[in-house]
Amino acid sequence: MNKKAITNNETINISRRSFVEKSATAAAALTIAPGVLLNQVHAKPAGQPITDAKRWGILIDTAKCGNGCNDCVTACNEENGIVSHGRPLTDQQWIRKVKLKDKMTNHVVSLPMMCQHCESPPCVDVCPTGASFKRVDGIVLVDRHICIGCRYCMMACPYKARSFAHEEVEATVDYQPRGKGTVESCTMCVHRVDNDGTPACVEACSSNEHGAMVFGDLKNPQSEISRQLEKHGGKQIRADLGLNTGVRYRGI
Amino acid sequence: MKNLMHKTLITLAGVAVMAFSAFAIADEDKKASFAPDVPHPTNGSTECVEPEDEMKKNHMKYILHQRDETMYEGIRTRTYSLKECINCHVPENSEVRYGDDKHFCSSCHNYAGVSIDCFQCHMDRPMGKNPHKSNAQVHPPVEAEVADASVAGASNE
Repeated sequence: MNKKAITNNETINISRRSFVEKSATAAAALTIAPGVLLNQVHAKPAGQPITDAKRWGILIDTAKCGNGCNDCVTACNEENGIVSHGRPLTDQQWIRKVKLKDKMTNHVVSLPMMCQHCESPPCVDVCPTGASFKRVDGIVLVDRHICIGCRYCMMACPYKARSFAHEEVEATVDYQPRGKGTVESCTMCVHRVDNDGTPACVEACSSNEHGAMVFGDLKNPQSEISRQLEKHGGKQIRADLGLNTGVRYRGI
Repeated sequence: MKNLMHKTLITLAGVAVMAFSAFAIADEDKKASFAPDVPHPTNGSTECVEPEDEMKKNHMKYILHQRDETMYEGIRTRTYSLKECINCHVPENSEVRYGDDKHFCSSCHNYAGVSIDCFQCHMDRPMGKNPHKSNAQVHPPVEAEVADASVAGASNE
């Protein structure tokens, strides 16, 4: 009996010692290379769920956005396998270019308009099945497994960001399944974001001369998007609705 | 004596016929198996992510679980994903589509009378390296004259 108790004690002590050693090593690593570790904070291990420590956003500088340039739209179509049926009124559009002319000054601004990834999304409020939802990191999506295609969300969205798939879709990409009878919209390229990537539109915009779009974490004060927002500010479209959008604009 | 020989011959013949038919039945059994011929992985691996019996019974539960984790939690591991079933079991550039008896999923579903709608949206074959993705036309920009861009920005009128 006694012998057994002693053995158990030893086991506990050994594991405690190794625990202390490991903690010390970890602490040393933190002290020695804080910069290195800080730079890797962005990466999410593939098997880990997303958290609300981040909120993804896009800042668009309308002064840089090219009037007549459609690179973001083309990139989005290509990335997500969007197909036209020659019916502009009902064809899917996840992102579209908008040209606004100020009545008084005649000043023209051109900007891309897509799902604004609201903090309080009206599309989620009205969805009867719970298919329209917001991920904890702020990306608003449609779970097409449970979407019944009622299109309430399309009516609720003040940005006309959502489209309905009227036709059968020939799947051409395996990361973005799309199908007839469901509603769809910009996913902020969630399949890329989850793998530490950048949305296709932002990538296309920064690879041409415009570089009008910045993607990043709004909750991280050190991120490029937060620093630009702090320096220049960024307006929400229809800020009066109080939706707190994740997509912000400069120069409007 | 003659009678005995007759009886022996008849008995022997009977035994021979029975033995032959028994072999024939065994042979028949092998050929006409009840289980459908399920295509094996194309990448040369011999083991699935779980034992075969478990996968036969419960593959749908694994896929469903993974589906929700991916959709809501952004977990994009490949082990139990539908995409990986397809990548492993359907040859790249395959012409065989879901619904065809030769397709990995259909081979069993057709036999068991199971109807699924996964492939109304998901790809039933591997994507390949250079997929032709889109023929989408870019629509002309929405134009509007506004008094304040940040208030009327979304107007499509």
